[in-house]
Amino acid sequence: MPPGTDPPAPRPRVAVLAIRREATAREEDRSLEEMIFEVAHDTLADAGLSQATVGGVVLSGNDQSDGRVISCMTSAGPAGGVDSDVTMIASSGEHALAYGWLRLRSGQGDTVLVIGWGKPSEGVNPDYAELVSAEPYVLRAVGMNDTIAAALQASRWTDPATAGDTATVSWPLTADDLPRRGDVVVAAVLAVEGTFSPGRELAWVRGAGWSTENYELGARDVGAQTALDQALAHLARGADSAPAPSTWDSVEIAAPSEPAAARAAGKLGLPTHATVNGSGSLHERLAPAHIAGLDRLLAAAGSVGPGTGTAAGVGFNGFAGQGATVMVFGAPGTKEGVA
Amino acid sequence: MSTTTPTTPAGPKFYEQTWDLSYKHALGETTSRFLGALTEGKILGRRCPVCERVIVPARSFCDRDHCATTDWVEVGTTGVIEMFTVVYEPFKNLPAPPYALAYATLEGADTALVGYVRGLDLSDQKTAVAALAVGTPVVVKFSDSPTGTAADYWFEPAAGAN
Amino acid sequence: MSVPNVGVLGVGQTPYVNRRTDVTFPELVREGAQLALADAGVTIDDVDAVVFPLAPDALTGTGNGERWCIEALGAAGKPFMRVNNGGATGMSAIIAAWTHVASGEFDVVLVAGAERVSESGSAQSVLNKMWDVGYERPIPLNTITMLALSAVRYMHLHGSDETDMARVTVKNRRHAALNPLAHLRDEVTIEDVLASRTLAWPIKLGDACPSSTGAAGAVLVSERYARANGLDPAWIRGVGQNTETFWMGDRVGPKALQDHGDADALATAFKRAYGQAGLTDPTTQIDVAEIYAPFSSVELHVIEAAGLCGLGESPTRLAKGEFALGAPGPVVNPSGGVLCSNPIAVTGVARLAEATLQVQGRAGAHQVPGARTAVASAIGGDHQFYSTLVLSSDLEDIA
Repeated sequence: MPPGTDPPAPRPRVAVLAIRREATAREEDRSLEEMIFEVAHDTLADAGLSQATVGGVVLSGNDQSDGRVISCMTSAGPAGGVDSDVTMIASSGEHALAYGWLRLRSGQGDTVLVIGWGKPSEGVNPDYAELVSAEPYVLRAVGMNDTIAAALQASRWTDPATAGDTATVSWPLTADDLPRRGDVVVAAVLAVEGTFSPGRELAWVRGAGWSTENYELGARDVGAQTALDQALAHLARGADSAPAPSTWDSVEIAAPSEPAAARAAGKLGLPTHATVNGSGSLHERLAPAHIAGLDRLLAAAGSVGPGTGTAAGVGFNGFAGQGATVMVFGAPGTKEGVA
Repeated sequence: MSTTTPTTPAGPKFYEQTWDLSYKHALGETTSRFLGALTEGKILGRRCPVCERVIVPARSFCDRDHCATTDWVEVGTTGVIEMFTVVYEPFKNLPAPPYALAYATLEGADTALVGYVRGLDLSDQKTAVAALAVGTPVVVKFSDSPTGTAADYWFEPAAGAN
Repeated sequence: MSVPNVGVLGVGQTPYVNRRTDVTFPELVREGAQLALADAGVTIDDVDAVVFPLAPDALTGTGNGERWCIEALGAAGKPFMRVNNGGATGMSAIIAAWTHVASGEFDVVLVAGAERVSESGSAQSVLNKMWDVGYERPIPLNTITMLALSAVRYMHLHGSDETDMARVTVKNRRHAALNPLAHLRDEVTIEDVLASRTLAWPIKLGDACPSSTGAAGAVLVSERYARANGLDPAWIRGVGQNTETFWMGDRVGPKALQDHGDADALATAFKRAYGQAGLTDPTTQIDVAEIYAPFSSVELHVIEAAGLCGLGESPTRLAKGEFALGAPGPVVNPSGGVLCSNPIAVTGVARLAEATLQVQGRAGAHQVPGARTAVASAIGGDHQFYSTLVLSSDLEDIA
């Protein structure tokens, strides 16, 4: 059927009012719920809000990583969800931020808290927890996990003849190439324009695009990062015109490996002055896989300001980047995000 | 390549899998102290500075007011049943039935604590249910050989109840 | 901004059964998606985005099992996300899809998922792992005991008994006998229910839902898409969610905000949806309620939370034969409800599907005559996450 013809009614602009991140290699003195409570409380307070006044809460956790079968049950309260509208987006942390943005664009409240967490130090074997994400018939039998999938992807770009003799985790990737887990909670408050004092915003959301490719590694070209192309196409097609990558000053990328991040940055067509992963390499910036994208999206939002008019976050999710998300942020204090 | 129906015999119907995921969950200081106090025969709560509820079992924050709790409060070891059930169905990997569970509000607490109810004959459902009716007074009992978990206490009907 | 109109263009459900060994999980998901797309008269190529409902991964046995289903859905290259709000997942996913459309970013959004809990050999011990790690896990709580506790409290607060619970089952089984997709379709008597074995008192086998395998889907569209294509969908008029404390022990006593025996926080969610829909009198303006109640006791307080009668009144109203097919006033769970089919991940999708069929006069033998306005709801967590919506056959003011 043909698409709708009359243009959709204009939707409100959405700003990022507050961002918090707490990250440590191993937190043994506080429970996961206590970490979530502290970050949620402080992020709301930064935005001049509280549990009583926030318009909704979007959660992102991972049951297997958390060791809690319906992880949102014990985390909704500490996240500020009592007496509120709570939705857990379980596919990936960056989807939770996109969903928070959709919520405000759809007229559901003026503010939303988006919070994602991972405390992999509680898992005795987090690699095994990743293995259960492999479908049971074939992939699980071969022991698939995020690292191996990332290595298979990187093998598409690596010539064995030129490989060095650096110790690899899974050829061709070294430990420095791979993301590092940590006990991390990240959160942000989004708000509709006109519901806060102008100038209070940290960044404006200029658009979002996300997409997921086929699951089977053999049913897609894992080296092509097609999900990113698709996410960029969706971003360009959005109701508001988002700035194109050729205008981005900064990009933060969460990817299965450094080679994957470099590939992704390469295909964006960034201006020469653009910085990539200014907040740290994959190995430097602690993040459990399912919120690594959310963490980078928020790092991008937090990076706009003087000298960085436009920043974007890119997140991948699933084996070898099955899914990709792009969100673009504009500097505060500007109309339509343009200086 | 041909597109005929395979003539090979059908393969297996099931593939058996067990998730063997182990965790060491950090309890946090507040829960840790609550569990430690059980070894001394004490039930601890925490007071919320906003709603002033004494929250039992002790929690470091109040989810209603979204604030940190401030004071430790030792509550009583007697209370009343607020709700209960008697389980007669065996569930895989859970204890053998019958067993009784109840939430009881202890003296000085504003929220109810969950625990097993022991010291009752559960074989006759009608008698068991009557002995556990909402409002029935109970006392908290403590294990002589604590395990450092919430299984170290349970409820029993108070003397003279029913 | 005013609330955008979002239509339900098509819905699909497979029959709900004990188990399906002829298909994999993704293949089952595909069945629900295909049924919904066919009912909507569109193909996956028309779909702009997909929302996937999937509750505990552990029950399906694959972590992030949603990612495994892209090929089966034909959704490669589309925006895709998964919702997990426990038992409320299906309806929270519908509301997430509503949000996708209402945001103005998407015109056609597919919700499709499936459940095959039968593949988990130990569902209730898996579900014990949803409790707090510090305090509750050593106590063998599960989804049955948590609601037995609520049922005891309802009986205590409102003076009801096990016969009142049994009447809910009798009504719903009578309805399910008319619904070819329902899982439990044999009619039962009050005596049958009372004589069934006790699981966790007062919940007996006859008061309990089955563990169902099946798939369900729905296609939601924007008003501009419906107009451009001359379509006549059912319309979602209001949505409302709410959440209460996880701690069941906080839901008793004089300082409690909500009582575990009632469904006060759910009532707030319904009020949010009613407010958005402009629905002012549920007792006269609602024709059909497809409400989430996996145990007979739950339906008693959900009827009250939906405002279909006063607090504590549902047992006497049911005893008079109200809320049943053929009775005047709103009919509750004409499909037989969750009590007769509970495919956990998509149970909330099934509520929307049934409500849609009702307001469009397509429900067949279990059709409520002349139904135009329906309410649907779902519950997740430990009676904690609440999801509701109001549906009507057109965009006229609800009166």
